[in-house]
Amino acid sequence: MVVYIPRFNVYIPKDVSDALNVLSQRKDLIPMGGGSDLLVLIRSGMVKADTVLDLWPLRKELAYIKRENATVRIGALTTVSELCESDLIKDVRYAGLADVCKKFSTPFIRNIATVGGNVGAAHPLSDIALMLLVLNGKVKLLSKNGEREVDITKFFKGKRQTVRNHDEIIAEVSFTETPHNSSTAFIKFDRRWGHAMGYVLVGAYMQLRGNMIEDVRIAFDSMGNPYPERAWKTEEFLKGKEFSDELIKQALNDVLPKEMKRITDYRASAEYRLDLSKVLLRRALLKIKSRIEGGD
Amino acid sequence: MSVIPREEWDKYPDIEISLNVNGKDYKVKVKPYERLLDVLRYKLGFTGVKEGCGRGECGACVVLMDGKLVPSCLVLAVRANGSKILTVEGLAPEGKLHAIQKALLDTYAVQCGFCFPGVILAIKALLDRNPNPTDEEIKDALSGQLCRCGSYLRFIKAVKLAAQYIREGKEYFDESEVRG
Ligand SMILES: Cc1cc2nc3c(=O)[nH]c(=O)nc-3n(C[C@H](O)[C@H](O)[C@H](O)COP(=O)(O)OP(=O)(O)OC[C@H]3O[C@@H](n4cnc5c(N)ncnc54)[C@H](O)[C@@H]3O)c2cc1C
Ligand code: FES
Ligand code: FES
Repeated sequence: MVVYIPRFNVYIPKDVSDALNVLSQRKDLIPMGGGSDLLVLIRSGMVKADTVLDLWPLRKELAYIKRENATVRIGALTTVSELCESDLIKDVRYAGLADVCKKFSTPFIRNIATVGGNVGAAHPLSDIALMLLVLNGKVKLLSKNGEREVDITKFFKGKRQTVRNHDEIIAEVSFTETPHNSSTAFIKFDRRWGHAMGYVLVGAYMQLRGNMIEDVRIAFDSMGNPYPERAWKTEEFLKGKEFSDELIKQALNDVLPKEMKRITDYRASAEYRLDLSKVLLRRALLKIKSRIEGGD
Repeated sequence: MSVIPREEWDKYPDIEISLNVNGKDYKVKVKPYERLLDVLRYKLGFTGVKEGCGRGECGACVVLMDGKLVPSCLVLAVRANGSKILTVEGLAPEGKLHAIQKALLDTYAVQCGFCFPGVILAIKALLDRNPNPTDEEIKDALSGQLCRCGSYLRFIKAVKLAAQYIREGKEYFDESEVRG
């Protein structure tokens, strides 16, 4: 038996400007954050790499969590562990991120996986990307020619495809701090608690005034496309109405199934996934309501 | 799948990295595509570092890199340059067993033992920052350590016992004391 070990070069940049320079000159570079996604793909032969651009040295500049001017900024090379140990996730408004931490893979993957890599992976089961969708997150891209910010709702193009140009790196994700009468929740459903991919993932944000839904944002691992997306129509339906069992039931039965297209694969059937999506969305909204009201 | 011709291999440079493994300094030549796992296990002979899945899913290959638990199958060797590594071999001085090892023996958790180097280091990473973990914290800390023999419930007992030993100041045991 021949064991196939993919071979590739690694470019280790000195800093951000070195990385951007080399990216602008060479087309054969694939950026790597933690490598928890990329190295698996390379080794299994799904990605052919000539040279990997190791972004780890950029942690000097791009690993941080900052809260200023009512904006939360997370450097792309912040690890999932660092996010999970930060004070940010103790804020009840971002309880959904704390939910992610409980379910995100395993401690040793969290120690290498980065926030930027989670967005860059553009995978339906990217937990943090899903929460950024409901937090109206933005992705900051840097290139030698400057920077641009893209709404995360417009960042994914296909499975493992994003609007990032070849010469750009993801430098930061950010979102505006949400109002105090709001909170978030994230549910990943699988047979086991740790180390699970999830049959269905839901993330939600809701802002309540008394019992009135002032604002609501919902994202699933898939609405039909192979990347996480918002449930725009269900959101529209719920917005501005009184929170009640009846209302949620209507949204789940009459609105969500019309905009969601689930697939059948070896892990679960489309019917099961749709059913689960409804159940989990209801749970997530109830959880958020309880969180806003001071419970858990 | 293809066989890579010899001349192709040589287009990849040797890169010299320095590592401190279990307190000793090493200089090793590595290829850019080699993993920390390849270097520790095959070049330096730390066979406590096991290759289970090679893709971050089983926890058999974990080591402590600058105090953090990482899967050595998903860390490129060049990235580990300059770091301090702890493998299971470096856990206790020669002739001694660490409290974690003693506790795993005391609770009869060891079956085939393949998962143990990883399990032991995952427990060490947990106890280093949390000397008195709850059941939930233990389950989370060990959630990536797959044990085909299914010693999971005993791991929980063992972690508590190890924590107790360490709190009592009994970090190391003589091998004779354990096997006795
Ligand atoms: C065993 C296992 C379990 C996992 N469990 C989960 C889970 O529970 N939840 C989850 O969401 N994910 C999970 N993942 C997937 C993966 O760990 C995450 O998506 C992680 O956040 C990826 O981050 P990374 O830094 O390792 O990315 P990398 O592997 O380094 O990169 C991923 C992609 O993004 C690109 N990229 C990375 N950083 C940048 C950057 N700064 N600029 C431009 N492009 C960039 C890379 O080119 C690559 O295409 C799991 C993976 C494994 C192996
Ligand atoms: S060999 Fe590294 S996690 Fe399985
Ligand atoms: S004891 Fe055999 S795999 Fe864990």
